[in-house]
Amino acid sequence: MSQIKARDSRLKRFLRQRETGLVLVIIALIALVSLRNPNFSSLSNLQFILGDTSIMIVLALGMMCVLLVGSIDISISGIMALGAMTAGIVMKNNLVQPEAADALRTSTPLILLILISMGVGALCGAINGLLISYGKVLPIVATLGMQYIIYGTSHVISGGQAVYRKDMSEAFIQFTRGSFLGLNSKVWIMLAAFIILYLFITYTKAGRHLYAVGSNREAAQMSGIKPETATLNAHIIMGALAGLAGMMYASHDNKVTQDMAMGYEMYVIAACVIGGVSVTGGSGKILGVLLGALTIGVINNGLTMLRLTGNSEFWKKAIQGAVILIAVVTNVLISRGHRRRVLRERRI
Amino acid sequence: MSANTKNGLKIPAWLKRREWLLVVLVVLTYLFFNSQAPSIYTFPKLLNQTRVYMVDVGFMAMGILLVLILGDIDISVASIAALSATVMSVTYNAGKGIPFGLSIILMLLVGAACGLVNGLLITKFKELFPMIITLATSTLYRGIAYIILKDQSAGSFPSWFARDLGYGSINILGLEFPIMLLCLLGFIPFYHVWLHHTVSGRYLFAVGTNLTASRYSGLKTDRIKLTAFVVNAMFAAVGGFFLTSRTGSVKYTIGTGFEMQAIAVAILGGASTSGGKGSVPGLLLALILLTALKNGLMLLYNDAFILNLAVGLLLILVVLIPNITSSLNARRNVRRQRMSLAKT
Repeated sequence: MSQIKARDSRLKRFLRQRETGLVLVIIALIALVSLRNPNFSSLSNLQFILGDTSIMIVLALGMMCVLLVGSIDISISGIMALGAMTAGIVMKNNLVQPEAADALRTSTPLILLILISMGVGALCGAINGLLISYGKVLPIVATLGMQYIIYGTSHVISGGQAVYRKDMSEAFIQFTRGSFLGLNSKVWIMLAAFIILYLFITYTKAGRHLYAVGSNREAAQMSGIKPETATLNAHIIMGALAGLAGMMYASHDNKVTQDMAMGYEMYVIAACVIGGVSVTGGSGKILGVLLGALTIGVINNGLTMLRLTGNSEFWKKAIQGAVILIAVVTNVLISRGHRRRVLRERRI
Repeated sequence: MSANTKNGLKIPAWLKRREWLLVVLVVLTYLFFNSQAPSIYTFPKLLNQTRVYMVDVGFMAMGILLVLILGDIDISVASIAALSATVMSVTYNAGKGIPFGLSIILMLLVGAACGLVNGLLITKFKELFPMIITLATSTLYRGIAYIILKDQSAGSFPSWFARDLGYGSINILGLEFPIMLLCLLGFIPFYHVWLHHTVSGRYLFAVGTNLTASRYSGLKTDRIKLTAFVVNAMFAAVGGFFLTSRTGSVKYTIGTGFEMQAIAVAILGGASTSGGKGSVPGLLLALILLTALKNGLMLLYNDAFILNLAVGLLLILVVLIPNITSSLNARRNVRRQRMSLAKT
């Protein structure tokens, strides 16, 4: 190893990192789309993409934790809906200050709403985690069942009624519309989540345990780590972040519906895979996840901006799957080439 | 072992099977809803409703079962059903006098092609898990159906397809059996014999239980996987066929969410996503259970979300209960062994 390090220049090593490759891919995609639609690379559009992708990044951060311990969560869209719906009902019915005057209705403090949503999310995540770690139910089965249950619960507590803009507090509507230093508030929330999670996963014991359990469960157990606790932690983090993302999604859309965000989990898992997180657990970098989600964000936005036909949404819907498939497969081919090169260099 | 001799009665192995739990649940569900709504929840009416809840999902679940036995998963079955049904209806309605039989063959071929793409991607790119690949191809296939049909729907089929198969029934012993259901029930014995009693069926279990060992003992595991995905996709196409005959027209959104229902049926019936497990009788019982439950809930609440909630609860409980009882048993055995060691 030391020989390779000595031989390779620092620049070369930097260029061979997966994250560098992803940045290059993102730049290439932006350049390609800009050829057809120059507006795409304008600063305002790039800011828009970043803001738009923030929700996915927040979810992908949580999904990374879950994938690291070798688990998976496909109930996140349900958790988003349930968290936002609970907060929305609290807001709509003004449960916190029932005696307030009509003008002051929907005046529940924003931070309380966010905490409610994140709390509900964490609770759902904890149920997922308990089922998986102590109930020994396979992650896909447990979260698939929970997906049904959570959407059903969200329907039952809402009585089939959506929460619309008129029932929302001004603070909640402005939650994703403010901007600071030219960046949308969603981006700041995402950055905060990113930094906290980075610190957690790099410098705390519980964070390192996620990697340990995912890469070798038995060895981790022998060295005194409780795999059950690590799995539970990962799912609770995922749930809380999904609750937060649900609030961002609801505020962005100006409405909370019972079947909100259905199918969103697919993009989140794809973002993690493109970002280099292994689905079997144990490996993955947080920066890669951020860039993977950005790649999908650029693809989604780029497909709209390409205007291949008059009705752009049509083509977007049709070729999204193909584009994601190509991205994921290219990713594998690149990493195979990388591994082969490493092997070749080691042999000499 | 000591527990059995102490109690003096030994439970035979065939009574310990998971299927009995399902049988008990089916009976309980039927009795519960029958007592709640005695006039509308009756056996003949339930039999008539099987065409809505049982046949199309049943065929998809039979395909999914093969993939689950291998330890893989396929989320694209509903999209394959939509795409192949689209191809069937569009070729038949193209107005060039294509016979319906040819359209059906084309439908099966499209299904097989979709399965081939899935299988090739999965066997060539083992780093990417079947879940990720089929998530992507699921959007892709439905996208192709969207390109073909746009927002329109294609209808007008031969009368035997839309009327007789979709809504016809045959009187057997005074009960009206839907023709669709008879197709499913007539096919299942062959499927059972193939999966459980032939060499090629047992290969699936071998590969699913231990991939490396099967490869070292000379099985072509990649080819088996590829075949399973193709067969699975053809089952999905057949599911789409029955779905179309029931609804009478095809839109690109047809069968959305059916993949999860099919997976749920297979898992309820004893399959596991980690592979090597699954049984056809279990699958059939799970189908009957879900039909009885969904029909009852629909009659009482008429709400798709409550129905899904119940399905989710059932799915988790049926998987969780055997896990908990077996871990409790294991713990009790350990304690008993410790005590007997302490005595000596």
